[in-house]
Amino acid sequence: MTAILQARSLGKTYGRRDALTECTLEIPPGHVVGLVGPNGAGKTTLLKIACGMLAPTTGHIEVLGNQPGADPAQLARVGYVAQDTPTYSNLTVADHLTLGAKLNPGWDALLAHARIDQLGLDPKQKAGKLSGGQRAQLALTVAVAKRPELLILDEPVASLDPLARRDFLRHLMESVAENSTSVILSSHLVSDLERVCDYLVVLVSSRVQLAGETEDLLAQHHRLVCARRDQADLPDGLEVILADHTDRQSTFIVRSQTQIPAGDWVADQLDLEDLVLTYMERAAAPTQSQPPRGASR
Amino acid sequence: MIWLTWRQFRVQTLSTAALLAAAATYFLITGVHLHHTYTADLVACTPLGSCDSTLNDFQHSYDMAFHLNELLVVAAPALMGMFWGAPLIGRELETGTDQLAWNQSVTRTRWLSFKLAGIGLCSIAVAGILSYLLTWWAGPLDHLNGNRFAAMTFASRDIVPIGYAAFTFALGTTAGLLLRRTIPAMAVTLAVFVGIQILMPTTIRPHLLASTTHTFAINQATTSQANGIYGNNGGAELFISGLNVPPGAWVISAPPVEDSSDHVVAMSEHLNCFPPPPNGTRPEPGTTKGPGNFAQIGTCLAPLHLHESVTYQPATHYWPLQWFETAIFLALAGALSASCFWWIRRR
Repeated sequence: MTAILQARSLGKTYGRRDALTECTLEIPPGHVVGLVGPNGAGKTTLLKIACGMLAPTTGHIEVLGNQPGADPAQLARVGYVAQDTPTYSNLTVADHLTLGAKLNPGWDALLAHARIDQLGLDPKQKAGKLSGGQRAQLALTVAVAKRPELLILDEPVASLDPLARRDFLRHLMESVAENSTSVILSSHLVSDLERVCDYLVVLVSSRVQLAGETEDLLAQHHRLVCARRDQADLPDGLEVILADHTDRQSTFIVRSQTQIPAGDWVADQLDLEDLVLTYMERAAAPTQSQPPRGASR
Repeated sequence: MIWLTWRQFRVQTLSTAALLAAAATYFLITGVHLHHTYTADLVACTPLGSCDSTLNDFQHSYDMAFHLNELLVVAAPALMGMFWGAPLIGRELETGTDQLAWNQSVTRTRWLSFKLAGIGLCSIAVAGILSYLLTWWAGPLDHLNGNRFAAMTFASRDIVPIGYAAFTFALGTTAGLLLRRTIPAMAVTLAVFVGIQILMPTTIRPHLLASTTHTFAINQATTSQANGIYGNNGGAELFISGLNVPPGAWVISAPPVEDSSDHVVAMSEHLNCFPPPPNGTRPEPGTTKGPGNFAQIGTCLAPLHLHESVTYQPATHYWPLQWFETAIFLALAGALSASCFWWIRRR
């Protein structure tokens, strides 16, 4: 199967500002991908390029093996729900379903109506009168019912309260599981993604800092706490991501492809949030450790 | 796409159709009355030989309606450009719904083709219908005015409004696409439209086709047909207006009177030819009235070998100019639409 997304040296600049720099990524199929990073990191830019809304300034990208947004067939294969889940405020819920039906040859009307029923949305309601959560659900319904192979969601839960957030993600996972759709989902909160994603991409200050299957990443990263020492004194094969020293004690976040060797240290696993924060911290203060490696897989 | 175009444009279509029906009813009712009055007046005045004053009264009674109707037909393309063109892409970008619309299984090019064609043809049709109604309605008045080239008249008759409608619609659409905001795009559309309505009659339209220049020798024969003789610049220049150009011609320039070596003649140097005004002041800058007087002035000035060169577009250029101007604005509309396609794909 072709990769969900394959990018080589992808870059996008707005005027003189870099929104995305040297982004090289290959995401294998069948994943629910979490794209994490602080606000303004370039997440939206990457997703907009992936669905064809934006053209990259440099580099090359293929989504499901094709140029994004190139033709109706490619458009049909990728569903996109933009940030703030825009809908036509003067059209009704039913109008949105008609819109989807008229504009998408693969439209699944049964699925769409079932979802609207299940959500308890009134088809005659204008989209402008819906709550944020309902609007997000409507936008998701339109994207899901066109039966895409890949669903791209940009901060879909950012404006939702915790309950609506959980509901939205549950519905998303249900329909993804039913249709075996791949998903790329962005957020600036790891907790949103923790439960649903099995692949992680960390994007900070326009660069990809980390990418890989969540399980692998968690298995590879450890926190070593030991008596104060220089990072050069650590055994070979440990890549130090972040080092923190107090008077007596040193804490290292290390990445290793193999088991951490025994020594005079305490080795802990990281949780996803710590892992992401480590890479964000490193990107924010690159002099403290190695410079960002661009793409890491 | 037809469904979506219709669904998003439904309210505008229906309200415009209602307004258009109201306008058509108004034009028909008052127009029938106008045409009837005109024929009746002609029949009544001809045997009495009083047609000048009767028709003058007739014309004046429609002054207000005439100007308002012209304004309506001139303004319609601007309104459609502002309210249909500017939001066409501008509002989608403003509210982010472009991200919904352009991620269905329809390319942006196709999306824009339907929108531009559907709504663009609507605005052309509205302008065409209004122009047709006004051209019919104002027929007798235009005939009496004898000036089909007046700025507002030319821009609101026959086919030119169609060109303007296509142009302003494409202009509004382009402005919305580039500015990504509806209100600024509306403002830009209006500003450009007003600029063009000023620029066209004053500097562009007179030169679209080669004009004719006729040099009138100043003598009794020519001045007796004039309708005004006056001085300007404290008597340093002399003007004779209403020289005998062909009927229906559009006088573009009537410079001051010159002598045989093409120097501007000062009125003040030939005051002896102008009869002293009743209160003893100099005749400048007021007009010396009366055809009898004009003939005398001509006789007096004739030995000086003066002339005035009048430049005009003959009446026969009316239709060529209508076609030419329409073609220019249709071409501009096409260029703007093409730029929309280019931009929307490049984003």
